[in-house]
Amino acid sequence: MRQPRLSLREQPLPGGQPLAFGAGLLIALIVGTLLLLAAGHDPLKIYSRMFEASLGDPDAWAKTINRAVPLGLAGLAVAVAGSMGLWNIGAEGQIMAGAIAAAWVARIGGDWPGIILISMMLIAAIGGGGVLALGPALARAKLGVNEIITTLMLNEVAIRLVQWLIHGPWKDPDSFNFPLAPMLPDQARLPTLFSRTHFGLLIAVAVIVIASVAVRYTAWGYELRIAGSSEATARYSGISLSKKILTVLVLSGAIAGLAGGIELTGTADRLTETISNGFGFAGIIVAALALMRPSGVAVVALLFGAVQIGGQSIQTLGVSSSVSTILQAFVLFGAIGAGVLSRYRIVLDANTRSIKKEMSDD
Amino acid sequence: MNQAPFSINDSALAVELSDVWKSFPGVTANAGVNLSVRTGSIHALLGENGAGKSTLMNILAGVYRPDSGELRIHGQSQQFRNPADALSAGIGMVHQEFRLIPSFSVAENVILGSAPRVLRTKQVELKVSELAERFGLKVDPSQPLWQLSMGERQKVEILKILWRNAQVLILDEPTTVLTPSEVDELGEILTKMADDGRSIIFISHKLHEVSGICDEATVLRQGKTVASALPIESTDQRELAQLMVGTSASTADRPEPNTPGAPVLKLNGLSTLGDRGLEAFSNLSFQVNAGEIIGIAGVAGNGQRELADVIAGLRPSTSGSLLMNDADITDASPQFRFRSGLAYIPEDRLGVGLAPRLSITDNAILRVYRQQRRGPFILAEKALAYCKDIVQRFGVRSADFNGPIAALSGGNLQRLLVGRELDGQPSVIVASQPTRGLDVQGVKAIQELLIEQRNSGVAVIMISEDLDELLTIADRLLVMESGIIRGEFDPRTASRDAVGIAMLSDGQAMTEI
Repeated sequence: MRQPRLSLREQPLPGGQPLAFGAGLLIALIVGTLLLLAAGHDPLKIYSRMFEASLGDPDAWAKTINRAVPLGLAGLAVAVAGSMGLWNIGAEGQIMAGAIAAAWVARIGGDWPGIILISMMLIAAIGGGGVLALGPALARAKLGVNEIITTLMLNEVAIRLVQWLIHGPWKDPDSFNFPLAPMLPDQARLPTLFSRTHFGLLIAVAVIVIASVAVRYTAWGYELRIAGSSEATARYSGISLSKKILTVLVLSGAIAGLAGGIELTGTADRLTETISNGFGFAGIIVAALALMRPSGVAVVALLFGAVQIGGQSIQTLGVSSSVSTILQAFVLFGAIGAGVLSRYRIVLDANTRSIKKEMSDD
Repeated sequence: MNQAPFSINDSALAVELSDVWKSFPGVTANAGVNLSVRTGSIHALLGENGAGKSTLMNILAGVYRPDSGELRIHGQSQQFRNPADALSAGIGMVHQEFRLIPSFSVAENVILGSAPRVLRTKQVELKVSELAERFGLKVDPSQPLWQLSMGERQKVEILKILWRNAQVLILDEPTTVLTPSEVDELGEILTKMADDGRSIIFISHKLHEVSGICDEATVLRQGKTVASALPIESTDQRELAQLMVGTSASTADRPEPNTPGAPVLKLNGLSTLGDRGLEAFSNLSFQVNAGEIIGIAGVAGNGQRELADVIAGLRPSTSGSLLMNDADITDASPQFRFRSGLAYIPEDRLGVGLAPRLSITDNAILRVYRQQRRGPFILAEKALAYCKDIVQRFGVRSADFNGPIAALSGGNLQRLLVGRELDGQPSVIVASQPTRGLDVQGVKAIQELLIEQRNSGVAVIMISEDLDELLTIADRLLVMESGIIRGEFDPRTASRDAVGIAMLSDGQAMTEI
């Protein structure tokens, strides 16, 4: 009986993560083809439609970029925490907390000039996300409470808070009793750059660049990477772990909060309970594919945005949008699988002697 | 309970290992080991750390596969591919690190991995407590595991392998987690199991415990069997100690003596707790002078690691005080200690002294990055130049300064770590197992660096399990056992026997000398 097992390669295969990501896309395409054929669709037609809708012309690019902005920021939030070995699973809730804070500023500052209103909204969004992450950060830093559980649970709190606000105190009196928050004031809209690409692109790129540089080149980022590699080494060199954990988790929450603020001022008309739209969870995948490196999230987010937008577009051809969700999942599986295979090889165990068999021969 | 899937034949030997070889990259852990264990006996497997005991037992338990050699269980030749194979042949091992689930009850932990499809909790608990009573293991099957002491958890581990009807039980240093009264209790339990016809292999290096519990002993040294199946009762403890540590005179050159200066580091009645909350050492007092190497000898796990951590500030002391250059640093931070001239070469190079996933440069600047900043940034050129300087001065062979540190060999890792620590021009160096696992050249290089530091007036504390090394390069030798200094020796005149006995026995044995 030959049993396959994984054995570490002495040298990882060349190409690394980009190649693994490409392999993931390829695997997703193959699986998707089989799925589409099974459902009676023409894969070529579907794929070309997906491509057209996501990257075919400037309008398509705008949609993809607008989607990539919250994905990239959520991915960055997860990756910054991940650089220190922390898991922020609460970006979804922090995005909503950011959107709530921004919506609140819009309520009280409805007659402020646009630039001030938008700036205040985004600052409030940063604060909102940070505040939601503060509890888990304190609990982890001071008491050692696992941040995965606490951040995850606060997602639920944030979504209930949004629901309560739009069903209750913030319900639009002119909404004919529908549970809707009021429309944002017109001047609270982010300006557009080209087509419908909004200004959030520049903010997101700037934040990703700053965070990447900070993690890679500053003393602060150095300490973060030391602690992420080995807590014992951090203690050995006198780095205060609890202070680091606190700042990093709050910062991670703040970045996710900013994504919520940009989403509200950039693409939404009003605060809704779907404002986060799963960006927080997709951000975990984005960060994982970027190997928790802040510098990698932008490219991954763009590709992921394209897959999402393309997936939505094929609904008009009678294909369920779940196909796009399945494709995203297979990109992840494929990329992780290819990543593993670039570091390990499969060997068949040569030892064919089975003890049990030997026993029964007696 | 399952029936044993094999029949015990007439063979009086439960375990026969002959000519077992096993190497790992860079070390040969077992070089032709033989071991015979009589059925129904308690067999001690003795040897210093690194003698190959654990490797041999992991082979017997199916964790490792031998490179060559024969394995016979109750007279039948066997080849294990994994621990499950070994278990089904009746061999179970209690590892030093327990493999139990805290949120499960005792009974659930016992049946873990061999649970019936339908779990009738009451019935299982009843069966577990019957089994426990049979061997005098006092545990409550319904109690959640997290409420249990380490000693009780060990009983659960033993029950776990008894539940699988193991005929051969391997206990890897079982007494390290036990209080003295628990050790006595364990002895009684093992005797009951041996009377039941089971064979027990007891790994240890505490001679007085072995003589109270075991029937026979096999001694390993440097991967070879140096004595097999010695009857314990008729063997002198002194003889066992000698077998374990060997009598070979050290052939290495002793460095020129140096005249020590004033005391630099003073320990006054220091105590601390180990990871498991038991006292690691208590009321420890000694001082280290400028220009001397003080060697701390002893078998691993007798408080040396904790001693190094307390001096370096990585573990709080529970009483006493620590003075460096007459300043009280008992509660000072690790960083403050380093800045005041304390260098620490920890036992775990990769993981404590060095951060595994970061680059060589990142690791080189660990002590100085705070001085290499401009604003918030670390100056990359300065860091690289610093790294290059350390690499050149201390002979680290590395191609890529920005490559991951984990790509370096053990010797080069240690050169980088030692170089980085010595660059701070320390007045005290604490070096924990600084040459362990290095090749001959690496050992020599590190020893020479430490001697050079001593000659320039630095106080060096060197903790090592290699007695020959300490006898060669130390100026003064302290022997630590069970957290107590059991003796101070002059390495120039000390007999290896006397040091060995101090290392391996507690105070009782010492008084006989």
